[in-house]
Amino acid sequence: MLRLPAVSRALAGAAHSQGSIAITNNVRTSARASSNMVEVFVDGKPVMVEPGTTVLQTCEKVGVQIPRFCYHDRLSVAGNCRMCLVEIEKAPKPVAACAMPVMKGWNILTNSEKTRKAREGVMEFLLSNHPLDCPICDQGGECDLQDQSMMFGADRSRFTEGKRAVEDKNIGPLIKTIMTRCIHCTRCVRFASEVAGVEDLGTTGRGNSMQIGTYVEKMFMSELSGNVIDLCPVGALTSKPYAFTTESIDVLDAVGSNIVVSTRGGEVMRILPRLNEDLLKYENILSPFTHTHAISQLFQGSEVGAIAGGMVDAEALVALKDLLNRLDSDTLCTEEIFPMAGAGTDLRSNYLLNSRITGIEECDLMLLVGTNPRYEAPLFNARVRKSWLHNELQVAMVGHKVDLSYSYNHLGETTQVLQEIAAGTHPFCKVLAQAKKPVVVVGSSALQREDGAAIFKAVSTIAQNSRASSGVEEGWKVLNVLHRVASQVAALDLGYKRGVDAIRKNPPKVLFLLGADADCITRADLPKDSFIIYQGHHGDVGAVMADVILPGAAYTEKNGTYVNTEGRAQQTRVAVTAPGMAREDWKILRAISELAGVTLPYDTVDEVRRRLEEVSPNLVRYDDVEESNYFKQAHELSKAVNQSLLAAPLVPPQLTVKDFYMTDPISRASQTMAKCVKAATEGAASVDEPSIC
Amino acid sequence: MAAAAVVRGIGSNLSKHLREVRLHLCQISAASQGSRDFIEQHYVTLKEANLELPILIRECSGVQPTLWARYGFGKERSVSLDNMNVDQVAKALESLVNAKP
Repeated sequence: MLRLPAVSRALAGAAHSQGSIAITNNVRTSARASSNMVEVFVDGKPVMVEPGTTVLQTCEKVGVQIPRFCYHDRLSVAGNCRMCLVEIEKAPKPVAACAMPVMKGWNILTNSEKTRKAREGVMEFLLSNHPLDCPICDQGGECDLQDQSMMFGADRSRFTEGKRAVEDKNIGPLIKTIMTRCIHCTRCVRFASEVAGVEDLGTTGRGNSMQIGTYVEKMFMSELSGNVIDLCPVGALTSKPYAFTTESIDVLDAVGSNIVVSTRGGEVMRILPRLNEDLLKYENILSPFTHTHAISQLFQGSEVGAIAGGMVDAEALVALKDLLNRLDSDTLCTEEIFPMAGAGTDLRSNYLLNSRITGIEECDLMLLVGTNPRYEAPLFNARVRKSWLHNELQVAMVGHKVDLSYSYNHLGETTQVLQEIAAGTHPFCKVLAQAKKPVVVVGSSALQREDGAAIFKAVSTIAQNSRASSGVEEGWKVLNVLHRVASQVAALDLGYKRGVDAIRKNPPKVLFLLGADADCITRADLPKDSFIIYQGHHGDVGAVMADVILPGAAYTEKNGTYVNTEGRAQQTRVAVTAPGMAREDWKILRAISELAGVTLPYDTVDEVRRRLEEVSPNLVRYDDVEESNYFKQAHELSKAVNQSLLAAPLVPPQLTVKDFYMTDPISRASQTMAKCVKAATEGAASVDEPSIC
Repeated sequence: MAAAAVVRGIGSNLSKHLREVRLHLCQISAASQGSRDFIEQHYVTLKEANLELPILIRECSGVQPTLWARYGFGKERSVSLDNMNVDQVAKALESLVNAKP
């Protein structure tokens, strides 16, 4: 809700925006000579701003929020809602604050008679065709139109005509559209065109008959399509599948995007994004745990092995590792493979996105190897697109040709190309040598291949060479790995073996599957009378082949630590309680350890986190990225790798949008995601929806 | 250099006696300087002699440099490397290799 402060504050350098819709201040005052700055007055108070700043940004700098519908600080300026009209002293007409750059000496009157009249008038026009849906509208309570009409609208209506109505459009199974409520702010149109890169939405008709939609019956096919639900200021675009909200992080890819989980009655209703900020820590309450007795005899003298899946939190990973180590087993594997040769995962710089996600905005040349970031890490891709749009980032790709929503230099998809770039004979090497801040990103899917070590060696060589030739300063890191699963980095930090080769070579009698559903090891790979224990939250492939199934908690049901692909440790929080007998994963492992006779030395989550710190201190440095170094040493060790590249082309597993929706056990169990896949393959009309008003 | 001799002496004994080695250090503090030098100068040799052993190097700002060793059955020992120089770090590693878990 936008709240106008009673008094506009004088300039103090730092601007505050008191909105729950976090409006970041894009006005940066640099330390250049002050003769460059322009003096403007906001309600009589002087403020210095850079030339080119708009009236709206100037007022925000002082702390005055101007109401708006179509303006969004991450999108281009449209200026079509006219709600931001403010009076400038001695000017004949009010100006649109979001679009008008300030001139020297202007006095912006944000609460004068004319300004207030303008706002009331605009509000009246917007409400004239807006349906009386507040009681049944999903957006009620978080609706910009409601808030701004309370604050700035007139108190009485003069409307005696009839309202127009618009047909609902079907743009996919994720977005519920009630286009009668649309106020034509065009935020969704601009988002689709600029941020998502798909130009599907547009306006048709004019005046009273203007409609927003895709004109032809077309699905809004983008991996970022759900974001328009958050952008729409009214209830025109809402969430179709959908409180109690909890701040958590997203573990369906390795980016660790910050989210808010909204729940009702023990079910997760919807997910909203949130800004990455510092969080307060919660307390956790231990609950007693009881389990069956069969497990206790199981571990006597048997070979034990474990496989960890893609959505396991660090607490469970360390509990599992401690349990198996105490049973004298080192066979702890992750499903995702990462090359074991050379330095492997000894040096963190070998397996992290070293340039960081914010570092993408500083680089000028990016080389993608064997990855499709659009569907593997969509928000990383959106950041690259932003850089490509505004910062002149050049992108080149070695891998299968895919639509990334921005244009790039496709160098080829064979490993031959990779070899040539590493050897310095490819024409692209010249471009790489001239780049001032190059970045090389290798996708983890490329490293899953049998020649993964050789690919990594080639990429490492390319990174070292381009670093040397670009002459960039010490702090800049070139080599980056883009992971696809949320638990991988934490598992590598803790010292897990990568890939199930160790289990294949030494098949254990007892196999522990911790959320492992990727079907890497089947019964056929294990000795005849082996025992499989599965612990997880969505019983997928792993549960089907197990002898014992232990119900664990999903990421929305526990306080867990996950490390994203940059190496940033973040926590999830409990949004709903786990159903039935399910418990947090580390607690189950702690109970098993007692039954197996090797009791683990921790009883509370704080003690587990202290143990995490003993193994890898960065795991408890929440929301921070720790710098990792020693690229030279890693490269030296990788030189000894003797593998040769296979001839097979580098093809990432997710190529089109229909591959995007079902990549992990939670998505595979989701009805909404199934509808998305069906709609993507057969068209929007093929999905049966109950008629909703 | 004394450290180099010690590292050569340890050689592949590292993987014979230990299951995992962890080195925690700070990227910038003076107390971790010896640890940082040790990694720069001797990590590669040590790793080449013990390719299968996980030698986890975990940099984290503000930590006290510590060397952890894990033996069989999950037993662990740690040694603080606070303010040590390269030779002392090497000696600390040697002591952990020879220690009984």
